[in-house]
Amino acid sequence: MSPEAELVEALPSGRNGRSSKFDTFKFNQEVLVIAIWLILFVGFSIVLPKFLTTGNIIILLNNVSILGTLAIGMGLIVVGRGIDLTMVALMVTGIGIAIWTANLGIDFTYTVFIGALFVAAVGLFSGVMIAFGEIPSIFTTLAIASSAYGLGRILSPVYEFYPHKNVPWLQVIGSARPLGIPVPIFIFAAVAVLMSLFLKKTRFGRFVHATGDNPNAARTMGLPTRPLTVAEFVLSALIGYTAGIIMLGLVGGMNTQLYNSSLVYDVILVVVLGGIGLSGGKGGVRNVIVGTIFVGTLINGMTILNFSYSIQNLIKCLILLSAMAMDAVLNPRDEQTSQSGDI
Amino acid sequence: MIHFKKAFFFALAMALLLAVTYQAYSAEVADQIGRADYVKNLKGKKVIFVPISMGFDMDQAWVTVIKQMAQRYDFSFEVRDPNSNTDAGIRALQGAIAEKPDLLIVQNPDVQSWARLIKQAQEAGIKTLALNMQSATQTDSYVGNDWVEMGRLEMGELAKACAGPNAVSHKVVWLAGVETGAANIWMRKGIDEVLKANPTLQLVSDQPAQYDAEKARQITATVLQQHPDLCGVMGIWDHCEVGAGAAVAAAGKTGQVTIVTNGAGSADTCSNIQKGLLTVNFSLNSDIQGHIAADQVGYLLSHPEIKAGQVKQVFFGPITRQDKTNATGNRGCWTLEDLKYCPNGCPDARPPELR
Repeated sequence: MSPEAELVEALPSGRNGRSSKFDTFKFNQEVLVIAIWLILFVGFSIVLPKFLTTGNIIILLNNVSILGTLAIGMGLIVVGRGIDLTMVALMVTGIGIAIWTANLGIDFTYTVFIGALFVAAVGLFSGVMIAFGEIPSIFTTLAIASSAYGLGRILSPVYEFYPHKNVPWLQVIGSARPLGIPVPIFIFAAVAVLMSLFLKKTRFGRFVHATGDNPNAARTMGLPTRPLTVAEFVLSALIGYTAGIIMLGLVGGMNTQLYNSSLVYDVILVVVLGGIGLSGGKGGVRNVIVGTIFVGTLINGMTILNFSYSIQNLIKCLILLSAMAMDAVLNPRDEQTSQSGDI
Repeated sequence: MIHFKKAFFFALAMALLLAVTYQAYSAEVADQIGRADYVKNLKGKKVIFVPISMGFDMDQAWVTVIKQMAQRYDFSFEVRDPNSNTDAGIRALQGAIAEKPDLLIVQNPDVQSWARLIKQAQEAGIKTLALNMQSATQTDSYVGNDWVEMGRLEMGELAKACAGPNAVSHKVVWLAGVETGAANIWMRKGIDEVLKANPTLQLVSDQPAQYDAEKARQITATVLQQHPDLCGVMGIWDHCEVGAGAAVAAAGKTGQVTIVTNGAGSADTCSNIQKGLLTVNFSLNSDIQGHIAADQVGYLLSHPEIKAGQVKQVFFGPITRQDKTNATGNRGCWTLEDLKYCPNGCPDARPPELR
């Protein structure tokens, strides 16, 4: 094992991905959320006759595939002790650029890469500003989100970008069901599996955890924290772009007003609910999936029950508040866990 | 032999004739009746428009038409675009009021947010015109849709398809917009009237899609799963409703589910009808709405004796029902190029399937 990896193993938080079967069962936030989810799931299955059907579960997962993919990208950044508020802006602007250049006549299969290049470049810029400029990620990404979105609107200030020509592979994403499961669920699962392998099995993944837990100690040890941060933000931008491709396949257009909606905060909600603390260093893909499925079940159930929008919002916020309040009671902050990052 | 007396009188007659003719030619032709005052009253005036967002096709149509009038009659017309951001909208409106324009045009995102500001504008003597979306404070003029009638028309279309004995089922869905939006509130009134008149109709879902096509898709997909024999979906706006159309197409139920909506009537909408994403669109004819709005601009500006808040004009624009059979051609499927002034013909921006 390389010296760096040995040191990473020795870190107090270096147990991620190596939990042994004899660990004491910690009633942490993730477990709490799973418990509440089980109650919800069983409740809905009893009260709503068609909730617990294969068709509905597939629809449920399909509907959260975009949110889940975005949350995987956000989860990566949060584990590295940062936050990425540019994800929705880049998703909208990147796909918008891809569609706009495609409408000029170039084949969409090529302009997809133009859009991807744009988001990667902006992600690179964010990463450099945060890592080398040492500006807190919350301010950097807030400003860059606004600028990137504004840039897209200068290019084409439309409400929704529509590709003029039908793109066959986008229609596959929208309507194909290999093995009876819609393609967006496969894409979400693929992104989740890849990120999980990256975080648990590769050196860089372990370095992300180390940097998130204590950036100065990681740097002193010789970990390449700054290039790592840059790479994280490029990766999250590309993951956001992938979520945008899913949305384009499902809807057939990209709604630029998503930037003004609360989508980015819903993504943070999913990440935090699943148990990834905003102070970084702890958590992984499993937390994100727990949060995503929880939110998906809640929304699906409330849609079937036809609750009004205000009631839905109220319930969502009450559940989030109670989950976090219970976590504060069950896992009180101590010296280590109360470290706060730059957020 | 020249008779001097005759010659003198002849010369005098010629001179008089010339003088009279000269007078006739050089005298000013009286101006067209009413024109002088109209032009004088419009010249140099200031008009400010605060929309919901200039990204909407209907806003683009209105602005294109009113801008041309502004160029013709030499008044200033500015747009302060908040791009669907509520805070930016309030700031834009406050800034506009502070500049004391002669006319303030607003498109209200909902009935409450700008109500107090519009009242302030009226008290400051600024005349106001509301386009398509009203506020709780009534403006001097309203040009736009009759939303109660629109609710009746759309749900009536679903009643035709779904209330009878031959319908696949009696289940219908209402994809609402923003809960406090003018369109939403008053369409609901029309919808309730039709539902009362057709008791067999069953409203299985009235979730708000909030003008977002992805949300519309998610809601429709969930509802289709619960009610596979769904008969109809009605929406508040065509660009949001295409999400429902996508969900219906993905479930393979295009043809079973009637998708009804309303919209500006642009070429994109006609395209979506031809693609099967929408069944019926009630076009608001936003190009014509623009011309009616321009008329109201002229009216309000050319009557300085009418004070702000004195009149309460209302004009409900024409509604055209579009479906696959008539959603083609220039008249019902306008593009922005159609609305521009192109004496040598405008470049064809129409999508291929509509040419």
